[in-house]
Amino acid sequence: MAVSLSKGQKVDLTKANPGLKNIIVGLGWDTNKYDGAHDFDLDTSAFVLGDAGKVKDDKDFVFYNNPTGAQGAVVHAGDNRSGAGDGDDEQIKIDISKIPAEVQKISFTITIHDAETRKQNFGQVANAFVRIVNEESGAELIRYDLGEDFSIETAIVVAEIYRNGSEWKFTAIGSGFQGGLSALCANFGLSIG
Amino acid sequence: MAISLQKGQKIDLTKGNAGLSELIVGLGWDAIEQSSKGGFLSGVFGSKKVEFDCDASALLLDANGAFTRKEHMIFFNNLKSPCGSVTHLGDNRTGAGDGDDEQILIQLQKVAADVHKIVFVVNIYDCQKRKQDFGMIKNAFIRVVNKANMQEIARFNLTEDYAGKTALIVGEVYRHQGEWKFAALGESTQDLSIGSVVGRYTK
Repeated sequence: MAVSLSKGQKVDLTKANPGLKNIIVGLGWDTNKYDGAHDFDLDTSAFVLGDAGKVKDDKDFVFYNNPTGAQGAVVHAGDNRSGAGDGDDEQIKIDISKIPAEVQKISFTITIHDAETRKQNFGQVANAFVRIVNEESGAELIRYDLGEDFSIETAIVVAEIYRNGSEWKFTAIGSGFQGGLSALCANFGLSIG
Repeated sequence: MAISLQKGQKIDLTKGNAGLSELIVGLGWDAIEQSSKGGFLSGVFGSKKVEFDCDASALLLDANGAFTRKEHMIFFNNLKSPCGSVTHLGDNRTGAGDGDDEQILIQLQKVAADVHKIVFVVNIYDCQKRKQDFGMIKNAFIRVVNKANMQEIARFNLTEDYAGKTALIVGEVYRHQGEWKFAALGESTQDLSIGSVVGRYTK
């Protein structure tokens, strides 16, 4: 059923679904099957971006410690530190109708917490996936197999939604970084301590 | 030309290399010099090198990652898989010599359709009695060689400290979307024998 987009592919969101309100970014993975090894703590985040493709300030970086952004349009549903549980382990919900006028783009990312210290990368995590669902229609717009499409990376820009005139569109990106969260933040104009 | 892999890394084997049909998976290690406590005479005769016998095995798993028949454990007492595609080239009892200490041959086209993954494991023979663990080896590696031209495709050097661990799940060759890939795993456990490792893949 899932229309799985390939990298670079763009899809109409609101044009194809007039009145579309809600999108869900869902992330899931398995717990580490090797005893005595660190859990895999994958984190989903969103960067709320202005004209230059950069954040205005650190409030525009929505993650488990800053769970709402874009004036309530972006909501992070909570941190899962081990991947325990079936289905989506973490979710970010976006209400398109609430996105403020000056926001041009929202970018969705996945990182591995503490990847460098724990010596972890996406290749080691079993059954890790990220999917983006049009909540209205239930259609899965995109699904990435994080363990096969990426391996030595520790941070991924999954996709973004962006304004196109009066409509919103969606692009599958799928680009990986090895520098973890700090590399990602630098990319969006944010330096983290 | 060979790619040097890091833990977690996965590479294509057959994608973009359609002619690749036979692999030699080579595993190697060096024992760090150990001396045995030989009583008061050891001072007279010098230290004795304790035999450190690592055994490489291949476990053939199905599409669900499950181990379902004992003939799918390829090791020194069962050198060839039922489908004939996986062959263990024999036991090396001391690790002496450079290069591969043990080798497993894989004929990709002959692998039975229900086999989706071949996992390479190294155990230490009699580790409990000999009080040995993988902290006592160095330079462990797994490499994948194209048998047709003996060119090394990729190598994974295991550089972690595996002290206290007695089994290494080194790497795996697996099917993905109609092609074969290789993953560098480098995981370690305290399983005392291959039989115990196999338990991890059986329900």
